[in-house]
Amino acid sequence: MKIALRIVVIALVVAAAVWLWGVFFPSADKVIRKRLAETARAASFDSSQSALSKMASAQRLQYFFATNVEINLDLPGHQARQMAGRDEIVQAALAARGSIESVKITFPDVMLTIAPDKQSATADVTAEVKISGDADLNPQEMKFELRKIDGHWLITRVETVQSLQKPEAAH
Amino acid sequence: MTARQATEPNKGFLGWLRVVTIGRNPATTLVRAVVLGVLCWLVFNYTLLPIRVSGVSMEPNYHDGAANVINRLVYKRHEPQRGDVVGIRLTPDDGSKPSIIYLKRIIGLPGETVAFRGGHVMINGQVLDEPYEKEKCDWNTVTMKLGPGDYFVVGDNRTMSQFDHFFGKVERTRIVGKVVW
Repeated sequence: MKIALRIVVIALVVAAAVWLWGVFFPSADKVIRKRLAETARAASFDSSQSALSKMASAQRLQYFFATNVEINLDLPGHQARQMAGRDEIVQAALAARGSIESVKITFPDVMLTIAPDKQSATADVTAEVKISGDADLNPQEMKFELRKIDGHWLITRVETVQSLQKPEAAH
Repeated sequence: MTARQATEPNKGFLGWLRVVTIGRNPATTLVRAVVLGVLCWLVFNYTLLPIRVSGVSMEPNYHDGAANVINRLVYKRHEPQRGDVVGIRLTPDDGSKPSIIYLKRIIGLPGETVAFRGGHVMINGQVLDEPYEKEKCDWNTVTMKLGPGDYFVVGDNRTMSQFDHFFGKVERTRIVGKVVW
């Protein structure tokens, strides 16, 4: 009985040590996933937020992107849009907060590929966007490219991906 | 006397409650619970994927909000067939269980050519009979050639504009499984 108890205690101590190691020294995979989730949260806003809080969250977005970030959005039924640089993203986020009541962005599925040198990574994500008053927005596949710059994982490129390759319309 | 003392706690409401909640033999109940838990974990992680339909692209055969289940093992035995309603993952397959999937019907198989002409599906230039289609549509597309690992999928709701409907060529690796009903 004593031996069994000792084994249980040792197992618990080892499990706690592994958990603590993960907390203090998280893997690149964990850090990037957290970073993407924070990006989605910063990009989201709702009508209950004050104007100041909305502005602050739009400004906070810049900390997730590299200075020379490129964004290419091509959503079905919408005009394709390109953005370049952090400032343009913040401006777009501020403009959205001025014209839309609420936006909720989540990335429920994330598939990460981290380069062997652990300095760059690609994330294939499913983006779910809920915009107030727009019920027909479909989930969208997106590709994020990230790079470790000054110790932080920053997004360097974002693009939409067509999961289904649609044939051209004919007349 | 000892036997009588052992059965004493099982008398009355508390005894009944104890039997109902943890059984006559707690150790056996614990083993059963663990086995059931492991079984559920295996089934819902690797075999059956419970889903809730969201959207109208599969109307009138699959309604918005309806519950269904996707069998993830069915295509281990054979390849997807024309007419199968399948789940399609949006991110490349990494073995994980996707949270969001498209629900679509397979109309084109690898190597075939697919096109819409006046609302009819043309497979290798021949009109495809679609008994599940209730409404006529006016979709028109150019002909698309499918590669060896490609399938052509589309929703059943062709009353939608073709520009608002997600359909087209998809890689075999993105097909998660087939709906059960």
